[in-house]
Amino acid sequence: MNAKESLIPLFNDEFTGQPPAKRLLAHLQSKREKNARLVGIYCGYAPVELIHALGLVPATLCAFANSTIEAAEAVLPANLCPLIKSSYGFIIKDTCPFFAISEAVIAETTCDGKKKMFELISQYRPMHVMDLPQLPDEPEAIESWTVMIGKLKGFLEKTFNCSASDADIERAIKDANEKTRKMNLVFDYLALDNPGVGWKEMYDLFFLAQSATAAEMAPVFDDVLAKLEKRKQDGYSHGAKNAPRLLVTGCPIGGDAAKVFTIIEETGGAIVAFDACTGMKPYMQFIEEGTGNPLRALAERYLKVPCSCMSPNNMRLSDMDRLVKRFRPDAVIDVVLQACHSYNVESHKIGKHVQEVHGLPFLKIVTDYSQSDMGQISTRVEALLESCDKGGKPCLR
Amino acid sequence: MKFAGIDIGSRTIKLAVIDSDGNMIVRKALTSYNPLETIAEISRGIEYDAIAATGYGRHLVKGRLECQVISEIKAFAIGARSINPASALILDIGGQDIKSILLDESGAVLRFEMNDKCAAGTGRFLEVMAVALGYDFAEFSSAALSAARAEEINSMCAVFAESEVISLIARGALRNDVALGIHKAIVSRSIALLKRVSPGTCEVFFAGGVALNECVRSLIAESLGVPVYTPPDPQIVGALGAALFEADRHMQVIPVNHDSMIISN
Repeated sequence: MNAKESLIPLFNDEFTGQPPAKRLLAHLQSKREKNARLVGIYCGYAPVELIHALGLVPATLCAFANSTIEAAEAVLPANLCPLIKSSYGFIIKDTCPFFAISEAVIAETTCDGKKKMFELISQYRPMHVMDLPQLPDEPEAIESWTVMIGKLKGFLEKTFNCSASDADIERAIKDANEKTRKMNLVFDYLALDNPGVGWKEMYDLFFLAQSATAAEMAPVFDDVLAKLEKRKQDGYSHGAKNAPRLLVTGCPIGGDAAKVFTIIEETGGAIVAFDACTGMKPYMQFIEEGTGNPLRALAERYLKVPCSCMSPNNMRLSDMDRLVKRFRPDAVIDVVLQACHSYNVESHKIGKHVQEVHGLPFLKIVTDYSQSDMGQISTRVEALLESCDKGGKPCLR
Repeated sequence: MKFAGIDIGSRTIKLAVIDSDGNMIVRKALTSYNPLETIAEISRGIEYDAIAATGYGRHLVKGRLECQVISEIKAFAIGARSINPASALILDIGGQDIKSILLDESGAVLRFEMNDKCAAGTGRFLEVMAVALGYDFAEFSSAALSAARAEEINSMCAVFAESEVISLIARGALRNDVALGIHKAIVSRSIALLKRVSPGTCEVFFAGGVALNECVRSLIAESLGVPVYTPPDPQIVGALGAALFEADRHMQVIPVNHDSMIISN
């Protein structure tokens, strides 16, 4: 038996090998059976600590399937980002199980397409749109965002007839920081020369941790960290030894867009950093504790999410520097969803930074949720990996 | 020893076999709906010691044939260098892809760009437009070269551009003026791709089936103001590169005869 066959999965349960959303759904359903009430979220700017502090449970809504796009295109333009089209399709087809069990939805004014799509689904559930400031360096931004988080609190308290004291929010902040700390212990295993974990198992963890508290995650983390340590001691490598290391940055990736991850691993690359809201972004910062103003502490933290809707989005470059230093990638791939203008335009800046400051090869992939461009993507990824061929001559003549 | 390279393109399959003295045999066939059968046909009676595959169908043969697989980017880089050791900027326009590749002094790939999944500006685009205008491949280029002026084609989508061509003809536009417009459209797209990898100007090594089109060659040279080098057979650059990659793996340096080269401009 080879190492791979004898390997114990990080999550060894009935969902092993299935899409990570299934395990998350089971977790949320079990919470609901114990009378927990769920709030649907779409985006990394939704302050989940506040939701937890109110005794509610955040549920990440579906946005990553090609299958719901056709229905969405009956209303939405075809040349819109697939994430928005898919989200909308899930709602109008009533096929998102997370939406079905959510009693309200939190939305944010991130990109234009999402803002307008939210208007179209506002009649299906009580919805609260947070006005996200987009010039994060302006002194008013933090003031305004603190107010918006306060308004969200008011909306949730009214909708769910609940309340949270500053002490409750402070406790939720401490819990989130514990989750961030534990998650970073996991990330240490991606920083190893031969990471013992691939994208699928990382996504198992990312998905569950989006909704679960640190307290709920504690046994999971203990188990996962023990297994990762065992893999390290056994010298197990998820891919080939000394495989080219890749940092993947850009738009959120999941479901059908995860074809890019599959192609990277099949081509022989090791994904060592996931620089997206569906990956490491939620765990790049701690929230300040004991400030006496926990709503403002939350606002401070969430304004540091480096989404391309921000201008200038300097945090994305400084986070990139941290990720490059920590995970030592051999190349960077920027994944842009088709018609996501802000990530698409920002890609030029990212590419320049990666190549000029870090001297790393850079590849931009613009894609959607269809599987028809897998051949083209794999050609590009192969060529990128060839160009960072470790120890070998990158090209012959 | 004999080394083979096979380039399984979307429209054409190319096979190049080179021996240690640099003697080369080249075979080509249309890809067809059954590329594996086509590969078997064109390699019939051909002897080689080792083979590498490239092109969009490269993984297709991997399970069937004992061979190395390399990306088109790398294959074209190696092939172009072997034909013209000075080449630094490569343009390949094939049936389905356009790519631009910038090499460093050692021949390593510095940067590359490719078109997205659609056929805009590829050889397929030219084929569809030639049919819409009732030209065969050879006529198409010479008709465009004979045009006094170019009709502007705004759409780069093969489907929309075809409608645009039909409406231009319906408005009484001259057929060869439309042909020139189509050639200019594809050239402007190639130039954008070249500038992305190399903002400065340098000589262009032009490969792929579309490099056989004289009008495209001269328009690129004219717009960039640089010489465009087209190898004697621009279609076999990838296959040659794959064969030489295989030779290199076997520690063989093969002299490639690069005396005869078509240079436009």
